[in-house]
Amino acid sequence: MKNQWLEFFYGSVTVRVEGKGIERFLNVLIRNGLHVWNVKRHGSGTATFTMRLQDALQIRRYARHSDCSIGFLRRNGAPFLVKRIFKNSGFFLGAVAFFLIIIILSNSIWGIEIKGAKPATEYKIRKELDQMGIKVGKFQFSIDSVESIQRKLTNNIGAITWVGVELKGTTYHFQVVEKKQPKDPKVLAPQNLIAKKKAIIVKRFVERGKPVVDINDHVEAGQLLVSGLIGKEDGPMQAVAAKGEILGETWYKSYVELPLQTRFKVYNGKEQQKHSLLIGKFEVPIWGFQKVKFKEYETEKNEHAIHFFKWSLPISYVNRTFREKEDIIRTYSNEEGIKVAMEIAKKDIKKRLDEDATIKDAKILHEAFQNGKVTLSIHFQIYENIAKGQPITQGDLMND
Amino acid sequence: MAKKWGQRIRNWMADKMDLPQDVMMDLPRITMIGQIHVYIENHRGLLGFTDSEVRLLLKQGQLLIKGKALVIRTILPEEILLEGKIDQVIYLNEIGGQK
Repeated sequence: MKNQWLEFFYGSVTVRVEGKGIERFLNVLIRNGLHVWNVKRHGSGTATFTMRLQDALQIRRYARHSDCSIGFLRRNGAPFLVKRIFKNSGFFLGAVAFFLIIIILSNSIWGIEIKGAKPATEYKIRKELDQMGIKVGKFQFSIDSVESIQRKLTNNIGAITWVGVELKGTTYHFQVVEKKQPKDPKVLAPQNLIAKKKAIIVKRFVERGKPVVDINDHVEAGQLLVSGLIGKEDGPMQAVAAKGEILGETWYKSYVELPLQTRFKVYNGKEQQKHSLLIGKFEVPIWGFQKVKFKEYETEKNEHAIHFFKWSLPISYVNRTFREKEDIIRTYSNEEGIKVAMEIAKKDIKKRLDEDATIKDAKILHEAFQNGKVTLSIHFQIYENIAKGQPITQGDLMND
Repeated sequence: MAKKWGQRIRNWMADKMDLPQDVMMDLPRITMIGQIHVYIENHRGLLGFTDSEVRLLLKQGQLLIKGKALVIRTILPEEILLEGKIDQVIYLNEIGGQK
């Protein structure tokens, strides 16, 4: 028996025979090894049957020697189906293109909304976003994660304290909290200026009030520098807010310890990328099939879910970056060690002082090299504003 | 006469050696499934075919199948499968069924 599926695969045609001697014609076909099936008689002079497509090509030859005329009625099977699919491929391509376009559009950025920012800040944010490559019409795959956008924005724009970044569908929402600029100082209540710490006065600049100390005077902490009580010797005293800057020389001592040899792990700039598609839990690599060549490396993984309209598909695009790390041993000589330790100490002390303080002099009191470490004891001479306001109370007035 | 002798020997051999007759003697083997199918092996060609009658040539004589709505499902050089409503299967001997 013939295999029905095989016939389907090869394709078959229905043939219509007309004329006399149909039986004889069929016998001829069969003897010559042509497969024929589903023979039906329609009246006395016609019959239809089905045969293989490849046999149908030869049928004319046999038909010429008989008294029958033949015609082809119907075509069945895979070869014709394929032909039809090709003919109708426009529909299929259209459907594929439709889904493709929807997916592309669902995964690009359609809007950037910034809330809670002044126009100036908003402009700054937009410029910063432009630099990061976040623009309307861009692909979401090429964009950093929401967290890193948030971090970059907060770091790079001074005017904002916090920014909430949210990706809703195809729109980025930014919720901005701006820094409050400090207000102008209010009119101060009557006050004296007193010394914050022990110092020698280097320079004084008094806006208001009566200075009571002179340059090169030595003052103790809490000592009165500028009095807020002004007036004639004998007349009634008037309490004002003393204001001014008293620059004093102060002294600090600091200890620094610095290992001469330090091990570092640094990135050396070499990196490798791998791209893959995550379907459910199954990951299919698309690009970057090489093994990671680095001995030591850090992996950064970025995952972007693919959206279809508002739904995110269980398919996501994964991008891995491998950055090579290198061990570096930094070694200082003794002199270098001292220099670096000094720098560290200076930075350290600057952090503890006001912004307008200057380091006048730094003296190394003691240096020691022990266990691969350099230990410095440094004496700093610093010029800084030592004035501090102290309100004048009613009681003080009475005493004077 | 020689043909008859050959026939006799074949008949005898088939009988004694327990061989199927159709193989030894070129007889048609007809398998019927109820009234709907008839499967004939060892025919020698199609003589006539309408939807109520199929005439087949055998080595000796002819076979006439009568029925309704007959369709040849498959036809091969020595086999034929008929489908339809079969009423009669008739053997026509050479004397009766002159071509």
